[in-house]
Amino acid sequence: MSRFRMPPQILRLVLLTLVIISSYFVLRMFLKPESFGEFGHYRGAALAERAALEPVFAGAKACAECHTEVIEVQDKHEHRRISCESCHGPARAHAQNPDVKTTAFAETRCLRCHAQEPARPITQKQIVATDHYEGKCLECHLPHNPKESPP
Amino acid sequence: MNPPITRRQLLGGLGGMCGWLMAQPVAQAAKQVVQKVLVSTLAPKGYDPFRHKWLMCFDIDRCIGCGLCVDACKTENHVPEATTYFRNWIERYIIRKPKAGSGEARGEVLVDSPNGGRDGFPPSLVPREEILKSFFVPKLCNLCEHSPCVQVCPVGATFDAPDGAVLVDPNYCIGCGFCIQACPYGCRFLSPETKVAEKCTLCYHRITRGLQPACVEVCPTQARIFGDLQNPIENDPIQEFFRKNKVNVLKPDLGTGPRVSYANMDKEVR
Repeated sequence: MSRFRMPPQILRLVLLTLVIISSYFVLRMFLKPESFGEFGHYRGAALAERAALEPVFAGAKACAECHTEVIEVQDKHEHRRISCESCHGPARAHAQNPDVKTTAFAETRCLRCHAQEPARPITQKQIVATDHYEGKCLECHLPHNPKESPP
Repeated sequence: MNPPITRRQLLGGLGGMCGWLMAQPVAQAAKQVVQKVLVSTLAPKGYDPFRHKWLMCFDIDRCIGCGLCVDACKTENHVPEATTYFRNWIERYIIRKPKAGSGEARGEVLVDSPNGGRDGFPPSLVPREEILKSFFVPKLCNLCEHSPCVQVCPVGATFDAPDGAVLVDPNYCIGCGFCIQACPYGCRFLSPETKVAEKCTLCYHRITRGLQPACVEVCPTQARIFGDLQNPIENDPIQEFFRKNKVNVLKPDLGTGPRVSYANMDKEVR
């Protein structure tokens, strides 16, 4: 009975294939990020990295912590559903340190929403700035209570 | 019959096993060192992505095209300033009256979005009396269920997060731009600064802290409705939105399964 002997050239080929395949797995073990495949075919830690970025806008709740009296006035009038930061600009830096001022309120902000534009819904109050009044909005309107005039 | 095991073979085998066992802790330590150098991992704290499902919807009849959302997004997410990079934008649709005797119900459709609507919209060149109707359409990532952008990514850098956001891993992205080509809604761009794909993340750093996305925060007319489908609150805005409106999605025929829904959307909106 003759023993089966693998031809040496085949044996070398098989060994080489095994080395290549196993080196792939060894490399993969080293290079694959820890959290890869945690939730799916991606790096799970990417979620936490995204979440770790710093916000710039504080959110209306943060404003309400100090400016209660302003919000009480605003809550009774037309602009009640507008967030503080819509007009006053991003305020997280200000919320963390009151010495840092928010961007000054500019009157061009009024016309952003109230300039006449055919694409705007009919319920939106719109003016043609030149027909309405040539002066400044704040001479006649209080932004937190737009139907009232300043004293 | 097998030949008996020789002393040389036995010793060789035992030595190999010992070496393998001793190499294990070394390999583990080396692996950790390599990983620390290559990728910094941050363990998530207190936020479980499996317990949320975020969704944003739009009411087109409420959008006034003020552009505060676009401006807020640029500020919040440090989007490149140039007028070609946007994570969200507003389009103005102007539908002309049909030409007399043309037998059509509506005329030409004009769409513009100067600087994404960030500075508001200049007066339209179409005179008011020639306009049949006109409206604004705010746009952002459609949060597809079968995202083409995720399917084409060759390195697994863009993915559907368990909480409904479609995110890009900037450490993994190779900037090939396949996803930008694949997105049928044009919601992605290649950042000129980082050279990786960027897109709306639903302000992931804000929603994980219990804040609203920046665009929703500043929207003065509640045209943007944002909520968590898994944790509806009392008078949940999303539930109310679907209850009160006839809703539709953009390009439903593409099979991407967009989750972002629009109320009062005209058929001309693409």
